Amino acid sequence: MNDTATILPKPAARAGEPRRAGVLDRLSHVEPVALVWLALAVVLLLLVVAPLGKLFLVSFETQETGAFTLSNYVTAYGRARYRDALVNSLLLGLASATISVVLAVPMAWAVSRTDMPGKGLTWAVVLGAFVVPPYLGAVGWILLAGPNSGVINRVWRAATGAEGALFNVYSFEGMALVIALHSFPLVFIFVKAALDLVSSEMEDAANILGAGTWTAVRKVSLPLVWPSIMAAFIVIFLETIALFGTPAIIGIPARINVVTTQLWQFFEYPVRVEVAAAYAMPLLLITVGMIAVQKLLLSRKGFVSQTGKGGERRPIKLGPWRWALFGWCASVGALSVAMPLLVLVQASFAKAWGRGISLDNLTLRNYRLLIFEHEMALTSIWNTIWFSASAATFAVLIALLIAYIVNRRLVPFGEALGFLAMAPFVIPGIVMAIGFYAAYASPPLALYGTAAIIIFAFTARFLPIAYANSSAAVRAVHPEMEEAARILGSGRLHAISRVTAPLVKKALLGGWLIVFIVASRELSAAIFLVGPRTRTMSVLLYDLSEAGNFEVLAAFGGLLLLITMVLVGVGMKLVGRDFMLRRT
Amino acid sequence: MSRLSLRGLTKDYGELTVVDRIDLTLTEGEFVSLLGPSGCGKTTTLRMIAGFVEPTAGAVEMAGKVISSPGSVLPPERRGMSMIFQSYAIWPNMTVQENVAFGLKLRKLSAEEVRRRVGQILEVVQMGHLAGRYPAELSGGQQQRVALARAIVVKPAVLLLDEPLSNLDANLREEMRFEIRRLHDEFRITTVYVTHDQAEAMATSDRIAVMNAGRIEQVDAPHLLYTRPRTRFVAGFIGRTNLLEARMENGEIGLDGFGLKVAPTNPEPNGGTRPVLLSVRPQSIGLHRNRPSGPDGRPAVPGIVAQRVFLGETWDYVVQPQGNGARLRVTAPPLQVHEVGEAVWIDFDPRQIAIVE
Amino acid sequence: MASITRRGLLAAGGGALGGAAGVPRAAAQGLAPHERELHEAAQREGEITWYTGQFQSEPSEAVGRAFTERHPGIKVNVVRSASQVAFQRLSQDARARVAQCDVFSSTDTSHFTALKRQDRLLPYRPRNAERMIGAARDAADPDGHYQITYLALYLLARRTDRVPEPEAPRSWRDLTDARWRDQLAVGHPGYSGAIGSWCVAMRAMYGWDYFRALERNRPQIGRSAGDPVTTLNAGERTVGVGIPAAATLFSISRGNPLSLIYPEDGTLMVPAPSAALRNAPHPNAAKLFMEFMTGPAYARATRPFFAESLRPEVQPPEGARPLDQIKFVSPALQDIETGIPEVKELWRDTFGI
Repeated sequence: MNDTATILPKPAARAGEPRRAGVLDRLSHVEPVALVWLALAVVLLLLVVAPLGKLFLVSFETQETGAFTLSNYVTAYGRARYRDALVNSLLLGLASATISVVLAVPMAWAVSRTDMPGKGLTWAVVLGAFVVPPYLGAVGWILLAGPNSGVINRVWRAATGAEGALFNVYSFEGMALVIALHSFPLVFIFVKAALDLVSSEMEDAANILGAGTWTAVRKVSLPLVWPSIMAAFIVIFLETIALFGTPAIIGIPARINVVTTQLWQFFEYPVRVEVAAAYAMPLLLITVGMIAVQKLLLSRKGFVSQTGKGGERRPIKLGPWRWALFGWCASVGALSVAMPLLVLVQASFAKAWGRGISLDNLTLRNYRLLIFEHEMALTSIWNTIWFSASAATFAVLIALLIAYIVNRRLVPFGEALGFLAMAPFVIPGIVMAIGFYAAYASPPLALYGTAAIIIFAFTARFLPIAYANSSAAVRAVHPEMEEAARILGSGRLHAISRVTAPLVKKALLGGWLIVFIVASRELSAAIFLVGPRTRTMSVLLYDLSEAGNFEVLAAFGGLLLLITMVLVGVGMKLVGRDFMLRRT
Repeated sequence: MSRLSLRGLTKDYGELTVVDRIDLTLTEGEFVSLLGPSGCGKTTTLRMIAGFVEPTAGAVEMAGKVISSPGSVLPPERRGMSMIFQSYAIWPNMTVQENVAFGLKLRKLSAEEVRRRVGQILEVVQMGHLAGRYPAELSGGQQQRVALARAIVVKPAVLLLDEPLSNLDANLREEMRFEIRRLHDEFRITTVYVTHDQAEAMATSDRIAVMNAGRIEQVDAPHLLYTRPRTRFVAGFIGRTNLLEARMENGEIGLDGFGLKVAPTNPEPNGGTRPVLLSVRPQSIGLHRNRPSGPDGRPAVPGIVAQRVFLGETWDYVVQPQGNGARLRVTAPPLQVHEVGEAVWIDFDPRQIAIVE
Repeated sequence: MASITRRGLLAAGGGALGGAAGVPRAAAQGLAPHERELHEAAQREGEITWYTGQFQSEPSEAVGRAFTERHPGIKVNVVRSASQVAFQRLSQDARARVAQCDVFSSTDTSHFTALKRQDRLLPYRPRNAERMIGAARDAADPDGHYQITYLALYLLARRTDRVPEPEAPRSWRDLTDARWRDQLAVGHPGYSGAIGSWCVAMRAMYGWDYFRALERNRPQIGRSAGDPVTTLNAGERTVGVGIPAAATLFSISRGNPLSLIYPEDGTLMVPAPSAALRNAPHPNAAKLFMEFMTGPAYARATRPFFAESLRPEVQPPEGARPLDQIKFVSPALQDIETGIPEVKELWRDTFGI
């Protein structure tokens, strides 16, 4: 061992005059990556910082004059009704996040850790609930659980002879449940990914010390994935308070005003962006607060992934209980996917959906109307596809570059880019949209009503998904792969395109599809930014729901789902079954 | 008194038999190692004892009661055992204190009692000052101590250890070996210790069960395993050895070619002639420049040094006895230097020759 | 870019379409000289964007198609929503200083007086308007900034199978009776212009206490005035309040068990205006569209959807009571202008939404 010292190379001889690099030489040492970094910084400033900054400034401006004022805050919070809306939103966010966790954690545990049968079906349920847009699910649930006309309540009354309704969708609980039924896949994805990392020995250790399966789950497995549960909880909370469609469709008949419907009111004539901006500010504070609480709770503790070797995982044998768990997964599937879709499909083929299923009530005219007679329907489908595709492409491209720069530590302060790319994750979508409206709708850019503003807003809003995805993909490629190419004379960009890109292609495609799908169903961000010719399917669905024409609405929803399903099918074919459910 | 016994314990995975009719009995307070190469079935055996794996045949008995048999397995949590895992399985979301207290709380002890016993055991494993730390803030050795404390503090009926030291670096491993033995001497818990490292097994165990291909080849005290291996596998797995083909004749063995006549250490009771296999340890063979003439009547034969390697503490020679194709490994102290090709004499200590199967 | 591929989409569906839309016809030959002139100028503009809150989605699309049929080569972007939402979109455009809308139609006249005050309407007196019925001509802007394109009637409807004729409510007043608890459905003045006018009318007749009493019956609140028609069809509620006659008659014609009730204390009549905008990106098409909406072709296109005819030469819709046999209430223009913002706030305070 000692002889290694002797063969250490001698420090380079100082004798020769160290050659000072000339300017030209130095330039040849600059990698083009610095310029890319600069360009990305500008893009992120435009996409993330400017809209939020503008929103913040506008909240202190007087309309027309632009003079500094606090009156917007006074107006925004001066009325009890406005404050109530905020409280309602917070409660709604907490309720649906809680319900989502309750629904999804047993499913995630069952799929990840146990010998429950029907795991494939559970995957399908999660995927199905993920691709159904929440407002469409809301319409489905109106058809299911309208207190008088809903299928569930009619069956209930017929079966029991009861007077009242079994479940009234036009209620706070109804709204929270409907939102949760389309949010729980996020919890599932987060928690399952974390549980996959818990080695069986963690549970065995509890078992052998006297803890039964249930105690081990409660005391060990779940606490170990607590950060994932909390992260999913926060994301769902934020998505819920930013949700516009479901509160408009269910909340108004239920007489529940929330932040989003209140923000919508500030956009009534005369449009009061300033007040809307002021009203949105506390949402950001709440977000910051939640993240602080999360940090505090998790502080020093360690969680999954820090086991030594021996990460062996065996499914826990549940005996008869596995059927109970399967029943749970199947019930969630029935509530979130099967039942709403069934009534929607029925309604979409019905002349009058209230008349139920009968031959003389069957018609294709709802579809015919949309496809052949409706001026906007096909346009909006096309808009949706190309807006979402463009946004997905931009998002993945930007995210990949940032992920690369950050992971390879190419420039100082690279993490700042990563932080900015993740920031929209915690900004309610509707706040983002209003920020875009405030920053870019008016001249000089005058992007209002153009496709560009929607594409940019979607890009910014879904950048975090793309970033998380790309970051994981880039991390998975060992730098030596590229270094091997570079030492052979390939430039960095060349090496990236020839070596790294092909290696991460599949992951990126998966990320692209996820962004595409969530963008294609996005309503909150679109509703404030669309113009007459840039309406998306989600906005048109919302317009249709305004007139309560559920048959045509259902048919349009059917078309939207058909398109999404085709894409999901393509995604599975190209990237593998679990492309949407990988930890992103 | 038998604490734990395995009777014909078998585990099949489909066609594959991982554990094959194992019999093993531990007395109260005994420390037994399951030693064998990876894939020999030792960990599966341990997991059957713990109740994580259901046997295909046979039974595990504890204090006279069957706790595992095909179709009927008392769940791990009701066996009153504890176990230390290869990964330690220290729960990273709990402090040292909380980890150690886990089993005690499940036993519904009073908070006062829990605190007292946790404090006590942490002192024993020298972790008292780190009670409030999270596992992420501990070194590997410290985590190992927490795992030990957590397993011992509940005063288990049986303590199971599954390759507990394999993730530690060499120095720490040596230290922990003695630590484990010290704790055993202190608490006298019936222990089953799984390892592939013979030094570890020797340092810690009262008896060692050497396993190979799902079966126990031999169970004995460490020094007996070394001096009296019963099978070719045990002889080769525990230390280094020379395996020589020989003939057994009327209670004496003759080595082909050089007509060695020695009384074996474990003679066959019945006479007759049959081929046998001898295990001769390299250090039991004497190496001499001249023909030895000791009064002890050790058999000696001439040979040639064919190869040599200096290992620091010893010389490692390969000697070819005259008239025989065998190549014997012989160790000699550092100062005893022979050149390759040199003519030497070797002699054998009959007491250190074992007949193996 | 959108339009290019949209054509592609249309072409793909064209085979099944059988030449319904998009196929040029020799319809232009029936045009009056003043129309032909505009038509040629408008063809160069190629399209028109129409924000409307007057008809439901289906008839609005039918109007767009009828226009393109009459004026081939001019596409109509129909942006249909509830009236207040349409106006909200227009206001957002203005706030962003972007011109996207050519013609604006709503059921809230105060939108038009406000727009006129801000000088955002294109003064244009369609020649066709000269031969409209009196009710329409009288309510139009004397300075020609806006025309009446829809004479909207808002009244009550019942489920015939659940509420027999004798038990049905006869007036707006009757709705506050406890019998109608959990039976009513109504739109929202924050979304629907017509419901705003209705609120102003009810407040004038019975004071705001009327709504407090109404609230005790827990009506189901939708958004558009037409929303309750669906709610009734579904069987969720049994009596629709302030619902448009046209949409209801259309629904009845499809076989839904509904029947109109003309309230004894007056059917609400709202002359609903349309106007071209001063900053219209397609000014000629906008003018042409105003001619179209005041002409007979429009009346014929909307008649199948049970809109009241505003042209003497087109028969009133089937099953509708003749206008001269109906008792009307119609809030005055000034009352609507000042009243609607007030009742919106009052409504939100009373109903909590």
